[in-house]
Amino acid sequence: MKSSPSLLSVVNQVLANKRRPAVAALAPDTRLREELGFDSLDLAELTVRLEEAFGVDIFAAGVVGTAGEIEARLPPERK
Amino acid sequence: MSKNILITGVSRGLGLAVANAVIAVGWTVYGVSRTSSPEFAALASQAPERVKFLAFDLADADGVAQGIFGADFAGLQVPLHGFVNNAASAYDDLVSNLDLERLQAMYAVNVFAPMVATKHFIRNALLHGQGGSIVHVSSISAHTGYKGLAMYASAKGALEAFSKNTAREWGERGIRSNCVVPGFMETAMSGSLSDEQRKRIYSRTALKVPASLESVAATVVFLLGEGASSITGQNLFVDSGTI
Repeated sequence: MKSSPSLLSVVNQVLANKRRPAVAALAPDTRLREELGFDSLDLAELTVRLEEAFGVDIFAAGVVGTAGEIEARLPPERK
Repeated sequence: MSKNILITGVSRGLGLAVANAVIAVGWTVYGVSRTSSPEFAALASQAPERVKFLAFDLADADGVAQGIFGADFAGLQVPLHGFVNNAASAYDDLVSNLDLERLQAMYAVNVFAPMVATKHFIRNALLHGQGGSIVHVSSISAHTGYKGLAMYASAKGALEAFSKNTAREWGERGIRSNCVVPGFMETAMSGSLSDEQRKRIYSRTALKVPASLESVAATVVFLLGEGASSITGQNLFVDSGTI
């Protein structure tokens, strides 16, 4: 599956704020906590940045863990 | 640096005094209140570009997200630097007369709406990455206890606990949260007290006078600013030295 470049850029923005290196791509099963080292506050920041970009609160319908789960909650035209 | 400060209950009393103090230091007010007032309109005419106003009733805690934090007012497009949770609704009665509906209505305004607003303020601060300062206006009644104020004081106690925990949770993102704890002030909120009750309350303070609106407002502005950058999770008493 091809990751949405926008989701990737938002993920990298959160990583940059933590002074961590950017990732080149996201696979559907990329786990944000375990693989990218996101903590709960990073996930909160990601949520806000995605809401600003896509108008969707990805946590409104429950917890997400992987890049694929996030993409599934973004508006269809983004996929 | 200029700051955008969201203030609830902005049209009169302490909220108006805070708005005046915020404008005086050169920042911008995003004021929320059920209705405006001649005094607030006068402030707005002094600095029209720096005074925004939204008529909104915080009894509608559900509507806070869209109403206050929607794109038409203090949405994500506006970097917010401070949130002053000042609006409050009074509910004075003996505990033995407690009415659940009135209690819930008071909690909607005094606790639920401010908690929802805090959620959206934090989200705004996360997006803009500049930190932020939350100031809740509590009440001395949460600490000393007064006959007839148990329900009201319980809501202020809830805010103090919420503030302390918000401070702990979001400190690493530069978001501070503090409470100002005013003693009795001469505002509409304490308007139902008799002269006798007032005298008794003021006699229980070191200064023997009501807490001044200006002193409380100045403390709020101090907590919003850089001078308070190392202060978080605190309750600051501005209460004429209540004993």
